Amino acid sequence: EFSERNIRVSNGINADHPVGNGIKAMQACLDEKSGGKLKLTAFWGGALGGDLQATQALRSGVQEAVVTSSSPLVGIVPALGVFDLPFLFASADEAYKVLDGDFGTQMNKKLEEAGLINLAYWENGFRNLSNSVRPVTKWEDFEGMKVRVMQNNIFLDTFQNLGANATPMAFGEVFSALETKAIDAQENPYVTIDTSKFYEVQKFVTETNHAYTPFLFLFSKAIFDTYSAEEQAALRDCAAVGRDEERKVIQDLNKKSLEKIKAAGLEVNTLSAEEQARIREKSMIVYDKHKAEIGADVVDAILANLAEIRK
Amino acid sequence: MTLVVFIVSLLGAMAVGVPVAFSLMFCGVVLMWFMGMFNTQIIAQNMIAGADTFTLLAIPFFILAGELMNAGGLSKRIIDFAIACVGHIRGGLGIVAIMAAVIMASISGSAAADTAALAAILIPMMAKAGYNVPRSAGLIAAGGVIAPVIPPSMAFIVFGVAANVSITQLFMAGIVPGLMMGIALIVTWLIVVRKDKVEALPRAPMKERLRVTGRALWALGMPVIILGGIKAGVVTPTEAAVVAAAYALFVGMFIYRELSPKQLPHVILQAAKTTAVIMFLVCAALVSAWLITAANIPAEITGFIEPLIDRPTLLMFVIMLVVLVVGTALDLTPTILILTPVLMPIIKQAGIDPVYFGVLFIMNTCIGLLTPPVGVVLNVVSGVGRVPLGKVTIGVWPFLVAQVFVLFILVLFPDLVLVPARWLH
Amino acid sequence: MAMQKAIDTFYRILEFLLIFLLSSMAVMVFVNVVMRYGFNSGLNISDELSRYFFVWLTFIGAVVAFREHSHLGVETLVMLFGRKGRIVCMILSNIVIIAVSAIFFWGTWKQAPINASMTSPVTKLPMIWIYGIGFFTGAGIVLIALERLIRLLTGRVTDEEIAAFAGENMSLEQLSERA
Ligand code: NA
Ligand code: NA
Repeated sequence: EFSERNIRVSNGINADHPVGNGIKAMQACLDEKSGGKLKLTAFWGGALGGDLQATQALRSGVQEAVVTSSSPLVGIVPALGVFDLPFLFASADEAYKVLDGDFGTQMNKKLEEAGLINLAYWENGFRNLSNSVRPVTKWEDFEGMKVRVMQNNIFLDTFQNLGANATPMAFGEVFSALETKAIDAQENPYVTIDTSKFYEVQKFVTETNHAYTPFLFLFSKAIFDTYSAEEQAALRDCAAVGRDEERKVIQDLNKKSLEKIKAAGLEVNTLSAEEQARIREKSMIVYDKHKAEIGADVVDAILANLAEIRK
Repeated sequence: MTLVVFIVSLLGAMAVGVPVAFSLMFCGVVLMWFMGMFNTQIIAQNMIAGADTFTLLAIPFFILAGELMNAGGLSKRIIDFAIACVGHIRGGLGIVAIMAAVIMASISGSAAADTAALAAILIPMMAKAGYNVPRSAGLIAAGGVIAPVIPPSMAFIVFGVAANVSITQLFMAGIVPGLMMGIALIVTWLIVVRKDKVEALPRAPMKERLRVTGRALWALGMPVIILGGIKAGVVTPTEAAVVAAAYALFVGMFIYRELSPKQLPHVILQAAKTTAVIMFLVCAALVSAWLITAANIPAEITGFIEPLIDRPTLLMFVIMLVVLVVGTALDLTPTILILTPVLMPIIKQAGIDPVYFGVLFIMNTCIGLLTPPVGVVLNVVSGVGRVPLGKVTIGVWPFLVAQVFVLFILVLFPDLVLVPARWLH
Repeated sequence: MAMQKAIDTFYRILEFLLIFLLSSMAVMVFVNVVMRYGFNSGLNISDELSRYFFVWLTFIGAVVAFREHSHLGVETLVMLFGRKGRIVCMILSNIVIIAVSAIFFWGTWKQAPINASMTSPVTKLPMIWIYGIGFFTGAGIVLIALERLIRLLTGRVTDEEIAAFAGENMSLEQLSERA
């Protein structure tokens, strides 16, 4: 049983991001299941407000949906901070197994308690470091580097612990700040480094893979509860269809973006396995510091889950 | 249809005298009711979220810097310096006014405050030298509105936040057009005064001129700090604003010694009140902007102007005419806040550079400060210079024409904005 | 008389608060610039706290400005009316203001639970401390406008107020708030 529904989906990113492909795939799926009755209207570039503001609008039943990374939401669901912990996932496959498995479902329950239905985990991806000072090959290379980070305690601590001067800054000012050397470095997925043209004003890129942030496709619980069981099922199923498409496109695009960054003349390096292990080891202090805040059970659960997968 | 509801509710409320901020809230309420999504939380949430933006913090700090510049005697030193430079030329006091206006514009972002400082000192001097008083008052008003075009500028900050455009880029792009406005005013002034019988000021001896320049150096350092700081990337616009305020405080208190600690609370309170008025308006505008976006009104308008989308110059021409008309009745900040969410999607679709559009849009809204029936800067000159409003309105028209002329030159030749902007950034 | 004195004292306190908020914001941001360039470090909380002070400044200041008739309006049409016409407009205007401010208050009320259950990223302050300012501003403006409306309806409005409504006799301070 389907009614005519206009579902407004707020996005902080722009329409050319792979989330755009995911939403198209999701719409195609919804068209088929609902006979064109469930319509997604996407708003891009924060036109309906920032991610946090949009999420609050969902909780109060003002707006239907948002695609947001987990990081800004830790003030609402502290457990989400677990995804900000440095060097948590070693590969995308690990992340998919955890997110699409039991651990992901557990987190969805916590979101539901806050009035948010997570339809599926989409992908923002692994974050990497770009800078204009020197190639980063070891822990000591971070020393004194002015790195822009999101306003998020775990990111701030991670980079401060590495010896960098972590500076929170609005995303919109990052390009100018990098260009004028007000800051040396920033950290984002390759796709963002490409689409925001950061490669024009940076010299070095290091594949640090220091954090994997998922995108959550959140729906307002207040509104979701008024939908019929069929509508709810269609949304969940099609969000998963959209997820698969989005993950596929973002993986391809990551490769293309990396090629583009290299073609632009940037020096790209990876961390050696030993150095990766060393930095990860040294970063465990950040885990300890934030464990209580995130919830010891949550941190232990994900580490246990990962240990299981890695066996 | 939603477009009609938007326009009628907003204009209706403003027409009966509801302040613009409350009119915007009202328009938001009517829109959500019309769209069948009445929810009081939309109002509450968008209002507060609007002020929770670090970039906007530059507004109170630049206001504070401007207030401190006037209270601390920096404006006076700048005017003295301009007199020492060009006061002795025929028609010199007019050139002094524009030169000082441009320097002050590069320190403060407030047209009204700059104009008040200029009018208080220069109108009596110009009257004494035999210049036509309404015309002098008109020139000073026209010079005063350069303030928001040359950085720092509250107008650029508000636009940058509303349109999601880099404020640093807007600042850099405003410099050359602001200077062009100044040059156009000087040329117009020299044409209109050429037959007047006026006395030029005596040329001061070199020693005296060096002394005045030396005293003004502290004040002249301020634009260097603000623009240099932003340009060199030492500071963001918000940080530049707070550094400018600290510097003006230091110079006014310890170098020129015109600012006493006793005055300070009053200056800060005034800056706080001005901030609250502007910010409350910004917040209310974000409520209506949210609903305009949710209702897809820009798409409705794009439908009307579809034929113009492929002709950016003609489109800019039409938009600039509309803004000029709106600017006759509406103040600067409300014009920016009401039109930006409606116009930006169209600008983007037409492929017009958002920074270029921003500069012309702000320049146009500044011209609106000079057009009756609501021309705030005319009121300032009239009040401070004790010249009847009607006479200022007549005195300003040659300069108004000159600025509109510059505006449309820039519509025809976008490179005049874009090339120097690229070069400066 | 005692009532008037209490009200005046209340506004004095608000003004003091505004001065405190703006000065603290300036000091926090300034210290961060100095620390960043002088000592290559910074206080994470000052970024966030200065933003929250800004919210309070805006919404406390909005009430003070409303009391002083300082919010920008378009007086073009109102100016054309005589005393009677202006009074009618003032009544309509105050009704609209009361309605939207009450909606602001009501929305803040309805949204309070979700703001109380969210903390800020750095200072961990419950967000109701920031978003709850809607209670103060909504209520404050409703009260001031209600008092005005009652005086308008009972014919106790002053000529000064009517002139202020039509945008006459604006002070330089009020003009500078507009441009
Ligand atoms: Na300026
Ligand atoms: Na005007």
